[in-house]
This record gives sequence, structure tokens and C-alpha cells, in this order.
Amino acid sequence: MPRIKVVLMKEWRESLRNKMILFGAIFLPLFMVGAATVMVYQGRGIDVPGVQIALFNTALMYFLILPAIIPLAIAAYSIIGEKEQGSLEPLLATPISDLELFLGKALASVIPALVLTWLSFGLFLGISIPLVGGVPPHVLTPPWIAAIFGLSPLLSLFSVGVTLLVSSRATDARAAYQISSFAIIPAIVPLIIYTSKKTLVSLWLIGLEGLVLFIASVIVLYFAIRVFRREQILTRWK
Amino acid sequence: MITANGLTRRFGDITAVDDLHLDVEKGEVFGFLGPNGAGKTTTIRMLAALIAPTSGEAEVAGFQVGKDNRAIRQNVGVLTETPGLYKRLSALDNLLFFARLYGVTSPRKQAERYLRLFELWDRRDDLAGTFSKGMRQKLAIARAMLHEPQILFLDEPTASLDPEAAKVVRDLIETLSTEERTIFLCTHNLDEADRLCDRVALFKTKLIAGGKPQELKERMYGRKTVIHLADPAAGIEQALDLPFIKRIERMDNALVISLTDPEKENPLLVKRLVELGAGVQYVNELRVSLEDLYLDMMEGNHATN
Repeated sequence: MPRIKVVLMKEWRESLRNKMILFGAIFLPLFMVGAATVMVYQGRGIDVPGVQIALFNTALMYFLILPAIIPLAIAAYSIIGEKEQGSLEPLLATPISDLELFLGKALASVIPALVLTWLSFGLFLGISIPLVGGVPPHVLTPPWIAAIFGLSPLLSLFSVGVTLLVSSRATDARAAYQISSFAIIPAIVPLIIYTSKKTLVSLWLIGLEGLVLFIASVIVLYFAIRVFRREQILTRWK
Repeated sequence: MITANGLTRRFGDITAVDDLHLDVEKGEVFGFLGPNGAGKTTTIRMLAALIAPTSGEAEVAGFQVGKDNRAIRQNVGVLTETPGLYKRLSALDNLLFFARLYGVTSPRKQAERYLRLFELWDRRDDLAGTFSKGMRQKLAIARAMLHEPQILFLDEPTASLDPEAAKVVRDLIETLSTEERTIFLCTHNLDEADRLCDRVALFKTKLIAGGKPQELKERMYGRKTVIHLADPAAGIEQALDLPFIKRIERMDNALVISLTDPEKENPLLVKRLVELGAGVQYVNELRVSLEDLYLDMMEGNHATN
């Protein structure tokens, strides 16, 4: 079995026994689905453009918060948990490479975040279509699809990079989680700005946001990989 | 099996390990003794290819530190100062995870073998977090051995264990030493080192002394015979005029006599004492503990040898 997969499976096995992670992974998506459904249900018949835009942009925002927020807890506990248990050194004493370990931990956070986001979106469609009496307006349009399937992975990667960086310096999982939560800003702020300008998301805006997020993710991941070296972990991490 | 030439590691202005020269042979239990902060863990980390030396070179299991790090890690087992187990995983899952990382061919079979060997098989499905300290330490040693390494680095394996658990771990080390594995043992427990180690090195940033425990003691203190007398007369030291006697000290009713070859010289010594009319009660060899040696060496009471 490739070592990345070995790490990934171990992370998931541990996460399934962590009540806080489990609670976040189940409760948050359900809450977001419920909230987004209420938004589109209320917005379906409103013909005041600004209000409808606000409701639908907010609904989309819920699905962009998920891929950014779910990895926070998994990644923070993944690193701080190792620190608390003193398990990093035995792990680093194995033939696993620094990059394999980093990827194993990063993917263990990114994959569930994306799967849960997309499942939540599916559940949202499954509930809202019969409720609204058809596909809600704007929802299955290219900007929404691009945001859900294109922006989500970038949001997750950015979030994981930030959390791994913060966790390398923190000694408490809750503190790391709280400090890293600013990583969800890219999921919220652009949509708030569009809404304030009464602008519905367009492919152009999603593309621009995606480009900025891609550059930010590359920078954050570059630094995260740099601190994720044996020597650094054993001699510099707190 | 392990050689180090001028191995040095600095952290900024602080030198943790300074110009270390070592040569550990195959199948040997090698004790690495030193106080807290002496640089023992840093030495293990360098030899296990976890951190790079600042200068100097080392070869471990035939591989060069710094060049063949992955191969070194594949061929050594490391027991860190704390067991470092995944408390939310079962004992079996802990071992399976490491067996897979080491690329063990039959992870489940190998995990079972070591769980049975260390008498943990019945608790295999229990979370490691529920284990006692001794059981955790056994599980951590099992983890270090899963991939059948040629060399085992054990960092304070009995520290913080109660006497019973410490004995279990010591017995394990004794068993392992019969399997032709090279064991590099860092310990504070000098009695443990005296009993288990073929050779020891006394270390405090630099290597202070090294050799077989008994040889080291003899080198530092010489060989001494203690003769208890019923009523030692004044001036008996002066009357003992045998040429092979190096030094005589009086300790209550006993004479402590430094000799070169006690096996040959003791009979002559006793004969002479009887001739002088001394009531010899019993004769012993003065046994210096490794602890005495260690404390004297660390306090600088003896010159480096």
C-alpha cells in the first residue's frame, strides 16, 4: 500500500474516533444544506433583484464555507494530536518521505471536505427541487457549478495549508483551529462584496476568485511544505 | 554496525554533540550513558537519520548518514523517549500502521507475532490509550521491531516505569540481545547498563570514556581487595611489606589493598597477614559500581581515558 494512503487511512481512523471532528463533519453540512434550502425557497418568487441576489449568493456561500471549514478541524487535530501523543518522532523514524507525510495529512483533510461538500450540494438539490417545484433559479448554472466544483478544491487546499502552518507553531488544537479559521475568509468575503454591489456571481468573477485563490494556495502550500521537514519538525516545532 | 567519526551537531551557538567517535559492533548491546541534556537523544536522531549532523560522518548498518537516510530508517528501529502511540487506535492498528509504513510483507502476521511475543495479543483490540505504562512501552518496543531491524535504538526504555514494568522491559532487552541484533541503549539507569551492556560510553556533549563496564572500572579504580580483620594492630599497614602492593587504605576494621593481579597476589597477601598474627575474618574483592564510576567521571574526578 502506498505510504500516502497508509497515512490517510490512519488519519481517518483516528478522526472517526474524535467526537469534535465527527460532530463538525455531520452537523455542519446538514446545517448548511438547511440554511441554503431556506434561502432559495424564500428567494424563488421574489422579483426584487437585489434581494434575490443576496439570498442566492448567500446560499452559494454556505457551500463554499464547507470545503474551507471542514479541513480545519481534521488538519489541526492531525498535527496537534501527533504532538500531544509524542507520535511524530516514531513516525518520522520510518522510511516515509516528508512529502508523502505532508500529502497523506493534507489529503486526509481535503478529501472528506470535498466529498461532504458535494454530497451536501446533492442533498440540497434533492430537497429544494421538490420544495420549489423545479430546479431553483441560478443554481445549476455554470457559475454555480464552477464555484461548487472548481473553487471548492482550492478553498480546501488553502485552508489545509494555513492550518498545517498554524499547527506547526501551536500546541493546542483549539487554538490552532481558532487561528486557522481566518482561512474561510476567501469563501465569504467575495460573495459579501458581490451581494453588496447587487451582483450575481458570474463565470468571470468565479474565474478571477479562483485565480487569486490558486496563487494564495500555492504560496501557503509552499511554506507549509517547507515547515514540514523532519529537521524542522524535530528541532523547531513546539 | 555503527561508526561515527567526528560527529558534531550544533543548534545555533549551542553544541549538543561534539566530535563524537564511536564504533559499535554487530550483536552488541551498547550503553550510551550521560545526564539529561548531554546530547544522547540528538546523537540517536543523527544516527537514525532523523536530523543531519553539522559536521563529521557516520555509517549505520552499512549506509552513510546524510546520503542513504531512507535506507538507514528502513534498517533501524527507534524507541523514542516517550512511547508515542496513537491513543485513539487499538494496539493492533498501531502496529499495522507502522508495519505498512515500513513496507512489511505480511503486516497482520508480523503484528500478531509481536503482540503474542510481548503478551499483548489478548488486548489487541483495546485502545492504546487504555494501556498501562509498561504495556505502552512494550507496544512501542514491538513497533520498533516490526520490520526486523538490524539495529535498535532504545532511548530511556525503562524511564518512568515502575520496577515491575521496568523488569519486563529489561528482560525483553536481554532476550533481544541474544538475537544478534545491535542494541544502542541510552539510559540513566546505571545498574541496568551494568547488567545489560557489553560496552558503555560515558557521554556529556563529548565522549568522556568508553569500554566494557568492568574494564572501565578497573582502568579507573584498579583492582582492590578488602580484608576484614578481627582486631587490626596499629602499624600493620607498614608491616605488610609485599612488593606487589600498590596502596593500602584503612576502612574501620578492614584494609583496602590495591593490587595488580589479585588472583595471584591474594593468597600471598593472606599468608603474610597470618604470619603477622592478624585475625583474617574474610576477604572480598572491592566492587565499584558503574554508578560510582559514572558520578566520578561526570564530576571530573578522573582523567579521560
